[in-house]
Order: sequence, then C-alpha cells, then structure tokens
Amino acid sequence: MASPGGHGGGAVSTRGGGGTRRMKWALELSLGNTRQFPVPSCRSRGDRQSSQGDTLYPIGYSDKPVPDTSVQEADRNLVEKRCWDVALGPLKQIPMNLFIMYMSGNTISIFPIMMVCMMAWRPIQALMSLSATFKLLESSSQQWLQGIVYLIGNLLGSALAIYKCQSMGLLPTHSSDWLAFIEPPQRMEIMGGGMVL
Amino acid sequence: MANLRTCLAFLFLCCSLCDAVYEDQVGKFDWRQQYVGKVLFAHFESHSQASKKLILATDKNIVASLNPRTGDLFWRQVDKAGPEGHIDTLLFHGQDAVVVTGNGRLLRSWESSVGALNWEMLLDPGSFLAAVLVGTQDSVKFVAVLKKATVSLHYLSNGHQKWTETLPDSDTVHYQAVYSSGGSQLFVLGVVPHSHLSIITFNIEDGEITSQRSVDAPWLSSIQARCTVVGQGVLICADASTLSLYMLPLSSEEPVGLQQVPLQSLDLDLALGFQPVLLTTQPNPARPPLAQFFLQLGPDHHVLLQLSDGHLSPLRDFQPAFLVSFATTGEKTVAAVLSPKNETACSVSLYSADSGRRLLDTTVTIHLDPNGGKPEKLYVHAFLKKDDSVGYRVLVQTEDHTITFLQQPGRIVWTREEALADVVTMEMVDLPLTGTQAELEGEFGKKADGLAAMVLKRLSSQLILLQAWIAHLWKLFYDARKPRSQVKNEVTIETLARDEFNLQKMMVMVTASGKVNWLKGEAVLLTLSLTLFGIDSKSGMVLWKHYLRNVQPNAVFKLMVQRTTAHFPHPPQCTLLIKDKETGLAALHVFNPIFGKKSHVTPPTLSRPVLQSLLLPLMDQDYSKVLLLIDDEYKVTAFPSTKNVLQQLQEMASAIYFFLVDASQGKLSGFRLRKDLSTELIWEVVIPPEVQKIVAVKGKRANEHVHSQGRVMGDRSVLYKYLNPNLLAVVTESVDTHQERSFVGVFLIDGVTGRIIHEAVQRKARGPIHLVHSENWVVYEYWNAKSRRNEFSVLELFEGTELYNSTVFSSLDRPHLPQVLQQSYIFPSSISTMEATLTEKGITSRHLLVGLPSGAILSLPKMFLDPRRPEMATEQSREENLIPYAPEMPIRTEWFINYNQSVTRVRGIYTAPSGLESTCLVVAYGLDIFQTRVYPSKQFDVLKDDYDYVLISSVLFGLFFATMISKRLAQVKLLNRAWR
Repeated sequence: MASPGGHGGGAVSTRGGGGTRRMKWALELSLGNTRQFPVPSCRSRGDRQSSQGDTLYPIGYSDKPVPDTSVQEADRNLVEKRCWDVALGPLKQIPMNLFIMYMSGNTISIFPIMMVCMMAWRPIQALMSLSATFKLLESSSQQWLQGIVYLIGNLLGSALAIYKCQSMGLLPTHSSDWLAFIEPPQRMEIMGGGMVL
Repeated sequence: MANLRTCLAFLFLCCSLCDAVYEDQVGKFDWRQQYVGKVLFAHFESHSQASKKLILATDKNIVASLNPRTGDLFWRQVDKAGPEGHIDTLLFHGQDAVVVTGNGRLLRSWESSVGALNWEMLLDPGSFLAAVLVGTQDSVKFVAVLKKATVSLHYLSNGHQKWTETLPDSDTVHYQAVYSSGGSQLFVLGVVPHSHLSIITFNIEDGEITSQRSVDAPWLSSIQARCTVVGQGVLICADASTLSLYMLPLSSEEPVGLQQVPLQSLDLDLALGFQPVLLTTQPNPARPPLAQFFLQLGPDHHVLLQLSDGHLSPLRDFQPAFLVSFATTGEKTVAAVLSPKNETACSVSLYSADSGRRLLDTTVTIHLDPNGGKPEKLYVHAFLKKDDSVGYRVLVQTEDHTITFLQQPGRIVWTREEALADVVTMEMVDLPLTGTQAELEGEFGKKADGLAAMVLKRLSSQLILLQAWIAHLWKLFYDARKPRSQVKNEVTIETLARDEFNLQKMMVMVTASGKVNWLKGEAVLLTLSLTLFGIDSKSGMVLWKHYLRNVQPNAVFKLMVQRTTAHFPHPPQCTLLIKDKETGLAALHVFNPIFGKKSHVTPPTLSRPVLQSLLLPLMDQDYSKVLLLIDDEYKVTAFPSTKNVLQQLQEMASAIYFFLVDASQGKLSGFRLRKDLSTELIWEVVIPPEVQKIVAVKGKRANEHVHSQGRVMGDRSVLYKYLNPNLLAVVTESVDTHQERSFVGVFLIDGVTGRIIHEAVQRKARGPIHLVHSENWVVYEYWNAKSRRNEFSVLELFEGTELYNSTVFSSLDRPHLPQVLQQSYIFPSSISTMEATLTEKGITSRHLLVGLPSGAILSLPKMFLDPRRPEMATEQSREENLIPYAPEMPIRTEWFINYNQSVTRVRGIYTAPSGLESTCLVVAYGLDIFQTRVYPSKQFDVLKDDYDYVLISSVLFGLFFATMISKRLAQVKLLNRAWR
C-alpha cells in the first residue's frame, strides 16, 4: 500500500485523467479547494472522504443506500453464530494442542518448553480478559451458555497444559522435589569418646 | 555384557569426571616437601673447596644426597620401613657410599653423584656389628664387614666377596670392632665381658689368621662404646670405675698387658656417673688413625689428648663444650668444638688437631631458636682456602631434628625441619582477619560510649580501610611493573590474613619422632621428641615451631581446636593432650595456633590418669569450646571450668554421653554425665577378645555437614538417609589368622544407647583395615585371603521412604532399624590410608582420597562405591545416574591428585573445608608432605582459569555499540522515509 500522501496525490491527479503525470503535489483551484493534499500529516481516510463529500454532494447526502435499521432474523443468526465461534474457539484448539503435545514429547528441551509455555499462557490470557470477551458476547441471546462454554474451554486448555507439565515432570508433586528444603535434624544428644588413650 | 558395562561406565566417566590437572596448573595450588628424617650418618663429598654434595643416612632408612648450597635433595633412596631397611652404617669413599642395611642383610654401594645403585650383595646371615673400609698401599679397595660369627672382605668396586672367615669361639667372645690401618693386616677385636679381650689378626690377602691372642681385661664389658684405636695401632679404652685409660699396642708380637694410665695423672677428672666416650678420626682408611683423640669426661667437658711415643698427654681442655668433631682437608686435620655462648647462642671454633691451638678467625656463632632444641650432632666440612688457611662449614642437628647448615661467620645457608617426616596428627585453622578487618570487627565488640564517639570511630575505621585499599592498589601497580620472577610473596606471621575464599589456612602439625631401637624386630622407643609446627598452607613455609621438652617416650597425642579465629578479639586456641602411656598421666599444652605461643590460660592439673577427652560444642563466655577429660575413675574434668561452663554443663548433663573402647578387653562402654560431673555406666558391649580384637572405632567428624537428607530415586521418590550423628563403626579382626578361618567384623553401634544397628562379617578376610565413616555410609578396605586381593566394601544406611522424625534426631527415640545395603569391589592395589573429602555445606559430591603405597593419592568418586549400583542397568537406575555394577574398581591415572609428586610412605590424609563449597583442602603426610585442593564436583562456583574475559567483554561492548549505531541508523531512515 502506498503512503497516504502519495495516495491522496494520486487520487487527485487521476481525477484529471488516466494519462496525467504523477506529481508530488498539486493545487486544484478549479474545485475551489485550497487544501493541500500531500501534507504528510494528512492521513485520515475519513477526512478525505468528508472533504470529497463536501465538495461533490450536499450536506446529508449519502451515495450509499440507507440501511434497514430493523434487525433482521438472518443477522441475528449471524451474530449468534459469531458468538458461538468465539465461545467454542478454545475447545476447538484442544485437539490441535493434543497433537502438538504428542509430537513434542516429554523430554525437557527448549521446544517442548516453549510449546508448554504457549499452551499454558494462552488460556490464562483468555481467562484474564474474560470480561472483554463477555462484552463481546453481550449481543448474543445465549450469552451465559456461551460464556460458560468459553470458560470451560479455557480451563480445559490450561488443564491440558498442567497435564503436560506433569508428564514432563515439571510439577513439584514428588517428595524429592521438596528434599532440598528439609533442614538437617537437630541433634539431641552430644556424644564423643573413643579408644582408651 | 561385561564389556558393554565397562563401555557404559567409561562413557559415563568421560563425560562427567575429569580430575587431572593441566600442565600449567602444576604447582599452582599444590606443593610438596620431601624429608629424610633424623640424620644418623653424614659425609661431605669434597673434591674441591666447595663441597659438592652431602651424603646422609637417616633413621627413616634413607640414603640421600643434599645440595649444600640450597639444602635441596639431589637424590633420595628410600628403603623398606622398619628393621628390614634399617641403615646400620654408611661408609663413604670417593664417589661410593657403601651402606649396610637390615642388620647386616645387605651391602650396597650407591653412586653419589646421581644416586644410582653400583652394586648390591646379600650378606651371610648373622647380626651386624661393624664395617670399615680397608685400604692397602694407599688406596682403598675393600670393605670389611664384621658379623657375630664371621668377618668378610668385599671389593669396593663390585661388591664381590674376597674372603669370609669364621671367627673362633664366637659363642663366648663378643666380637665388636674391626680395624685396619693400611697394612696387610685386619684386626678383629672381641671381648668376653669382665674377663678378657680377644684380638685376632687376619691377612687381608687370603683371610688367614696370622695371630690370635687374648689380654686380661676384667673391667671391660663392651668395646663399641669404650675403646678406640689411635695412632699406630694402639687400642685405647676408657673405664669409669677405675677412672683410668688403658693402652694396648695391637700389632706387638710379645704378650703385653694393658697399660693403665689413671686420669688423675693427666690432671683430668670424670664427671660423676658419666661414662667416658672416646672420639677419634681416621682421615684415610689406608693410613693409621690420628694420634690425637677426644675424651669426653662429662656432658659438657671434652679433652683433646695426644698419644706420642707411648705416652698420653692432654693437649687442650674444653669446658664447656657440648659437641666435638674432627674434619680433614688435604693433609690438615682440625677439631671443631661447639661451646655454649649464652642462653640463645652457641659458637663453633676450630682447633688444630696436632697442637690444640685455636685457629684464628674461625668462630661461627649459631643462634638457637628459643623454641627449638639443643644441638645434638655436629658435622664439619673443612676445606683449604686459597691462602692455605682452613675454612669450614658446619651441619648442626638439634634435638628437634632440625638440621642447619652454617658457614663462616655464622650465616645460615639453609635449614631443614626433618621432624616433619614424622607428623602424628594435624589440624587446619582459619587465618585471622587482617588488622583493618579486625579493627572494624572490634568496633562491634566494644561497649558503646556515646553517639558522637561511635560515629567518629566508624569514620576513622572506614578511613583506615580506604587507606589500606589504596596501599593495596599501589602495591599492585608497583608489582605490575616488575618482572614476574622478582615479585616474591613474603609470608610472615605478621602479614598472615585470611583470603577471600578462606583457601589459605594455618596447618598445625604435631610431630613426634622417636629414637627407635630395634630389638628382634620389635621397636622399642627410647626417646621421643615432640615438636609443634605452624605451616602456611599456601606456600608450605614453616611459620613457627615449638619444641616440647621432657615428653615421655610412650606418649600419645590428641590435638583439638578449642577456639577458632572467628571470635576476635579472643585469640584462637588449640589444645594438645599428651598422655604418657606408662603412668597414664596426661598434660595439656594450650597454645595459639597462629603464632605458636603458649597460651596464658592455665590448663587444669590432672592428678588421675586420663582415659579419653571429649570436645563439646558448648562454649564459655570467651567462646572457647569446653573440653571434658575423663579419668580412670570415670570422673570428668572440664577445661575451661568457669562458673558459666559448670552451669551450662549442669543444664546439659543429661544430654552428654561418651563411650570408651578398651581394645585389650574387647569392651565398649557408654557413659552418661551426671550433674555433679560424675558419670554412670549405661551400656556395655563385649566383643570376646579371644575370638576377635577391636582394631578401629570411628565416629563421624564433628564438622561434617550433610546437605541432602535423602536420595532421589528413579521414580522421583526419596530414600531418606539414616544420618545418626552418634553412630560408631567398630571394626574387628579375628585372632585366628589362618587363611580359611580369618574374618573381619564390622559393627555399627549407636554410641548413646549401645544398640547394635548392624553387624557384618567378612569371612576369609584379613587386615590391615582402612575405614572411612561419613554421612550415612561406611567404606572399609581389607585383604581377601581367599582370592588374595584387596577389596573395598561399602555399607550404606537408609531410613526408608519416610522420615521418622524430621526435626530432631534422638538416639533414644528411634524404634526402627535402618535399611542397610552393602556391596564390595575388587581394588587392584593395597592402600596406605584413606579419607573422605569434606566441604563447607556438604553440597558437593564426595570423593574418597586413597593413599597408595606407590605414593599416589587417588581421588575415587564415592559414586563408584555405592551399594545401589544395579546388576543390570534399568530405566530407573539410569535416571538415578547409577553406574551398573562392575566388580573391578578402576584406578585411573587422571584421578591421581598428586600427578607425579609422589608422597612417599603416606601415613595420613587430612581434609578441611574451604570457604568455597566446591573446594576441599587436602594435606597428605608421610615421609613427604603434600598439600593441594580438590574439586569433587569441579569448580561450579568459580569462573575457570581460562575464562575468556576479553572475548566476553568485547562481545558485550560490540553488541552495545552495534545497538547504539543501529538505533541511530533506524532513526535516520525513518526520517528519510517520512520525507519521501
């Protein structure tokens, strides 16, 4: 994509005709517009459109047909579908994760560790931004069901990650993992002696 | 399968262990000092003015050659220890040092320049009495050896026997001396005590007896000590009872009796109860001895006498004079006399042997170390100076076996501390903090005296620190300019300070060198000289020594560190317990281990014989640990015994136990302390002494730490170690030494309760047994009499997968016996001593340091001695890093921590932790002393020597600058793009 400045210049110049030479900037005085298009800071497309609208059409005119504001049945279904997509996303990832898990094996090296980290991090991230997701699902009628499904999917994902950690032996679940923290026992008796000198 | 196993083991080793030093590390952390022992015979090899070599024979059965300039060894030949290698005599002629060893067993000749063996002859059996060099026609050709019943003549060039003759009436006559004066005759002198003297003359050419006569001498009991030959073959004997000298011409044909010369007629007087001693010299064996001789009349009284025309006349009287000696150079013979000057100095002067006149400018002053012994032996090497006057050097041996080589006018050329060949026990003590550090520490020790004063004090001490740091920097800068060889690190007691990682320590060594008399193969100690040494562990320099007088010959020692250097301003304190075995009475010598000075603390007087001592972890208010001494009534004396200590002892009494092992009765008994410092017997174990005798009892070292309380198994569960601090390993040997019936027993006994935790019997095994007891394991080595090989056996104790009580350990509350695992291995060598490495926190894996008779010190990883080594490698055992069991234990030369620096006759290995967890300090002592550091798990806490600081820092800086530059470039590029 060309830079907005270049594009703007292009738009202006192409209006004059397909064969016109591309210029760095130009003033189109005939339109009664003193705006300099190739200002580097002029990047907003909406700004340009409105300026075009200003010059070509009267205020309030729109060349698009006015959308039907009444919510149609098909759209509702679409929203519902979209929301279900969001809700089922984590669950759909699980088979994929299982496959990756199987492929990466149980050895502790950089790749399996990265995989596990990714697998663990994604559900956690999702759970942390749960409220944002819920807002997204607000428009759906089955909001709560979808929310729960989404939650369960993520929990399952993190459980899978934990299971992977477990099978890789990264969880301190054995007594040997706590061995280093055992203090040497205190000695109750003092004893000494030896062969009679 | 075995092949695969060894392969696996090999691979495992290759990737995990490498102990050997690199070539450039040689001598960097380690040092070795070689000793020879107490000098018995010394000769100077002198062809020119400068003596080239000093040939010594010592009580350690060593013939050695020293460099007279430096005192270093040229060569050293070490014979078997004990009576078999005992050096009976050393004769020296030209380049040959002829030695008779093993009570006349062997006659050897050593080449003096390189120490090679010229020849060796096995002599006929019979106890050795005397040997002389025999010369004919002005050249020395033979060696005559006198034995109890025979006399034999050997060629000096090849050792072959020229002739051997049986001596007549050898069962009644004690032949004791042999003499030749360059003629064709060899005289053998014998005595029938308190009856008569027997003189036999042999023809040197064919060994024929040319004459045989006996002279009445009812006062004579022994020739060796009392008689000597002077001048033209005149025998002179001294007798204390009649206070007279006797003369007898040996070669006269007509039967002449002994001519008596009373000492009074010579105006001489014998000291009361003193046996006179005669000293003569025969500069050339092919010529008769000198007519002048010394007569010692008292401990400090010598007389130079002359025999001329059959008349004795005194030349000069020396009093006081401790030691006398003759020395010959060219045609001149001089007498050297050592006389005391004052309390701390002696002087040696030369006198002309012919006239007894004092030679001018020949006095050498010897300054005696007040902590050393008195001079004991004097060897003089005389040489002719360019102006034809006589110059000389002296070798003085003192009672503490120091040999000092001096030259005129009293300059010490070198000193050797030969007592260090007899180290009995040692300890390593941390060095004190530096003066500035101590200053800072002292600030906290003193009582507060106002805020402003405190601030001022703090500021001043900080200023001192800064000053010291700048001085240090300046010194670094100053030294850096000098060539490296010139920078010498002078170590003195004053500059001693603890280094960053506490790697430099003070080695306190107790040496006890006894004068041994071999009687039928049994050593009888006559005297014992006890010296304490303080040695810097980094350089091996002797920083102080202290000679203790009046030590009984049968004494035993125990060295304890009562206070370490950690308690500034209190000085560190060591205590040496000296117990006389005969009377049982003991004395304590309390001293400062850093300076060697005797402490002003008065040790308790011990009126009863002491059985054992026990160093408690309790401290008095001066931070000195309490030493308990148990006497033969089982009462306890505490040292120090302040009120504070007694109070603590009363509180603690019920928790203090001790055990005594009486090896002769096979009895082990345990006692508990009562509040009134008496004891009660609480247990007794008797091991019948008719069947087996206790040879060793070992507890654990008090300063040992165990970091890990268990072992991680393959399935990641834990097998907890049985870490009983009160556990004793008792080793017994069977009295019956028959190959089929002999056995070795190992008992693990709890020292508090007397409970036998485990017992194992190794059948068909024999000692000597070497034992190491540490953590939860016991390793011992024995001789397998059936398979005729040395074997290692390891016992390991585990509590199981659950701890009974993880917070406290009490022997009184341990209902379950531990699980005991055992495994044995074949070791391809016999061993001399064994010790385990020790580190500060016990995180580092352990190695066993094994001293081999070859002089090597092997660092054997403990994981080879692990009873959990499986027969077949499984998944779990691999997980646990267990090496599959292989019966043979390898000796790999990379494991020799002393590479080629053999420690001859290694007797003991001492290990001490350093400030670095990875590093353990090791001292091996025997005839030599070797000090090094070992890293059982490699240096995990230190950057390697060859760490590439330049590369790493250049990469870092490079990356940093690259980042800066690329950042700048990126900015420029962005701006440019924006302007496009």
